[in-house]
Amino acid sequence: MEAQLVEHKVIAKSSPFLDFWKTFSRNRMAVVGLVMLVTIILVAVFAEQIAPYDVTTSANITSRDIYKPPSAAHWFGTDDAGKDVFSNFIYGARISLTVGFFAAFISIFIGGIIGIVAGFYGGRVENLLMRFTDVMLVIPDLPLLVVIVAMTKPKLMNIIFVIGLLGWTTTSRIVRSQTLAVKSRKFVLRARAIGAGNMHIIRHHILPLVMPLLVVNAILVISLAILNESTLSFLGLGDPTALSWGQMLNFAFGRGAMSAGAWWALVVPGLGIVWVVLGLTLLGHGLEQVLNPRLETHHLMPGRPVVQTEAGNSSPILRSARPVLLEVRDLSIHYITEGKPPARAVENVSFTLHEGELMGLVGESGCGKTTLMLGLLRLWPAAGQIVGGKVHFMGRDVTAMSEQELLDVRWDGISIIFQGAMNALNPVRTIGDQIREAIIKHVAILPGDKVDDRVVELLDLVGITADHKEHFPYQYSGGMRQRAMIAMALACNPQVVIADEPTTALDVMIQAQILELLDSLRKRLGLSIIFVTHDLGVVAEMCDSVLVMYGGVTAEYSDVDTIYNSARHPYTQELLKAFPDLSKPEKRLASIPGYPPRLDALPAGCRFAPRCPVAIERCHLEQPALHRLNGRHVASCHLVEE
Amino acid sequence: MTQEYFLEVQNLKKYFLAGKPNLFSRKVKHVHAVDDVSLHLERGEVIALVGESGCGKSTLALTLMGLEKSTEGKIIFEGIDITHADEKAQKLLRQRIQMVFQDPYESLNPTQTIEEIVAEPLVVHHLTPDLEERHARVVRALEDAGLKPADIYLRRFPHELSGGQRQRVVIASALVLEPHLLLADEPVSMLDVSIRAEILNLLADLRRSRQISIIFITHDLGTVGYFADRVAVMYLGRIVEIGKMRDVLENPQHPYTKALLSVIPVPNPRLRRERVILQGETPNPIDLPSGCRFHPRCPIATEECRQTDPPYVEIAPKHKAACLKI
Repeated sequence: MEAQLVEHKVIAKSSPFLDFWKTFSRNRMAVVGLVMLVTIILVAVFAEQIAPYDVTTSANITSRDIYKPPSAAHWFGTDDAGKDVFSNFIYGARISLTVGFFAAFISIFIGGIIGIVAGFYGGRVENLLMRFTDVMLVIPDLPLLVVIVAMTKPKLMNIIFVIGLLGWTTTSRIVRSQTLAVKSRKFVLRARAIGAGNMHIIRHHILPLVMPLLVVNAILVISLAILNESTLSFLGLGDPTALSWGQMLNFAFGRGAMSAGAWWALVVPGLGIVWVVLGLTLLGHGLEQVLNPRLETHHLMPGRPVVQTEAGNSSPILRSARPVLLEVRDLSIHYITEGKPPARAVENVSFTLHEGELMGLVGESGCGKTTLMLGLLRLWPAAGQIVGGKVHFMGRDVTAMSEQELLDVRWDGISIIFQGAMNALNPVRTIGDQIREAIIKHVAILPGDKVDDRVVELLDLVGITADHKEHFPYQYSGGMRQRAMIAMALACNPQVVIADEPTTALDVMIQAQILELLDSLRKRLGLSIIFVTHDLGVVAEMCDSVLVMYGGVTAEYSDVDTIYNSARHPYTQELLKAFPDLSKPEKRLASIPGYPPRLDALPAGCRFAPRCPVAIERCHLEQPALHRLNGRHVASCHLVEE
Repeated sequence: MTQEYFLEVQNLKKYFLAGKPNLFSRKVKHVHAVDDVSLHLERGEVIALVGESGCGKSTLALTLMGLEKSTEGKIIFEGIDITHADEKAQKLLRQRIQMVFQDPYESLNPTQTIEEIVAEPLVVHHLTPDLEERHARVVRALEDAGLKPADIYLRRFPHELSGGQRQRVVIASALVLEPHLLLADEPVSMLDVSIRAEILNLLADLRRSRQISIIFITHDLGTVGYFADRVAVMYLGRIVEIGKMRDVLENPQHPYTKALLSVIPVPNPRLRRERVILQGETPNPIDLPSGCRFHPRCPIATEECRQTDPPYVEIAPKHKAACLKI
């Protein structure tokens, strides 16, 4: 219990805001953008203090002061009225930024409301609002701006309103699609179920999730508003009393700065605009990356190079009559992130897979079973690294292979049936097409019609008729998609197939169908299968051997009968007790209190000790070694030591 | 004759429009999600609703919740017909009927703290203007749901909790209103086996301590034994077998129930047995099969089954099934 409390304290510190700030400060683009923006805002706010000259008066200015080149007195020269360009620039920042922020506020406000209302209420309301948005989007902004501003008085307020009222279209579209996405999430249904009304749901469930997007969008809208104001002013439609950067450009351009060679009068305000827009764009893109980390590549990729170590000399694993296909010896895989302790996802795991063998790999979520499987192919998120041990596939050491050599093993030798068949299939391509791709990528030149024959053959193998070949994944049911995934895994005649929780999201009946299919494929094709699951019941039906993992280490490994009838590790025993037994339905279910350990904050002793009902003091202090009991049966527990 | 039940569902139907008449077809198509379901529930009773996905069990739950309008039939809850309750009455009902959803990873708003989530029903129903009382009720609900001590969870966010803990939060937020009826829609199917037992035990305890009636929806007959009093097996929108838990598990009559029972994984290789694996999947509920709707997948179907829609046959008191072969 104590260990659990400590763990709570460690994580209790994180809050979304702190997390956000941490990622934000690590994003260089966002930080640079923020610094650029804050600088110019400070300049605008403290214009009186910073500007060397007062721009509001023309006192002490003579005709000789016009278009003076940069000097010590006027760092950036003077303008057509003999005023200091640098001071004008500073005061101009105030006006340009005011226009930018206020106009953007109006745009975001209107766009946000229209987007949320359209997305949330749907139906006729949505149709009406979105068609209106479309019309507004089609009208070219600038000419309309010019027309409206020309018709109204060129006052700063009017300009702000006009720019604001025309700039909301993209925002409303983005917000609408985000609202649609959020609306369909289950917690909105839950809110309805507790009796919440529409306003409550919008305020508490839609808005907080639309907000990040709105902020990113706002930043881009601000820069657009500043550009629009500059354009208007440059065209001579600005407020003549408000000297914005655009107005400065307009005056310089209209009053002979070019012919006088006074480049400074044009370059300085121009640079100001570039500075702000660049700053905002950097900040916007940076924020987008921070708020939406999925934009970052987070796909499976070849991991870091293997740290070569001597494989431990653990006692040889029992040989069986059938040849060994895959031998994993003391494999350790860590996730290494700078500035954090390594997550020891897999530690010293060994197992042997014979030809035609079906091994069950059982463990709770987060116990390292998926990492172990991806590790066999050296595929995992970038932070993963093999830090020890060996993987031998058909006598060749996978850990020592080059990327090129690995390509021969991946899919041709060992293939994977991924969890969640819907996500692992490309929704816009037909099933047949995707299987074809898997064949072409790996099998050297096959004539076109041969490939098609092979696709049909593979589909037939998994029980899908040929007429479903050109269907898209959405036309398949859950069970059929999983079958298609299996066909894809079989495309290159692999010797080993890893099935990563292939039945988890499926109904019991479909689950039974898939299990039956895998079992028959094993018999027909002589496949070796590693079946990854959290459900001990599933594997009992068909496995030869079972490896039970807990918190990244082997808890127990043996043949199937031993695991179910004479398990020695308390975790295995508890897992079996937690199973509903239909013959004694009234019996209370045994459960394992507590939660599996976090892989970056592991207990000092046995990883199961905090939840173990029979733990002794030693278990909390010392990690148990893997004890060989007899034959293939191993368990890592102090209590089996005799 | 008419006995008053805590909840009574009479001939409930829920059809969804699947296709409007258009140029090519004048036919209006319907998805028969719930097709003539009758059942009743007593106070403190737990009934398990079992079937594959697409059998209409979740739609039935949403209709009972009032989140979907029924097409036909009646729902009588605590003596009052709530089939066509207006918005105001619906809101009051929500205090009595609460729901626990399947996916604890999706059903919590990631931007709310646990305290906000559990307090939300109280806020929505304006039940506790007094902040201290609200806090006390939130703490009590969390502790009743097994999150003890509640203090360490209040300020945390869903992503900091494990799946089992999140499901407890969902249960706590349903309990905080002290409902009389809980609809649990596959509350454990997304959880690891080791956590499942805890959540099932929690629900069983709640029923005992609070006298809550529970409708427990699942696709896995294996989990119902622990606390269901009765079991109703659904197929394509209709209840095909219903009876006391022991009767159904030990003496299943409908071939579909038998098949479902036979595929429950048994965690012992020595007990491997003959399984009845039905081929194919639940057919599309738009074009229902003629006669008995189970006949295309039924291992014992005959010509008669193609023609006649079987009526319920009473096997034992309160145990009936709809099959011609009984």
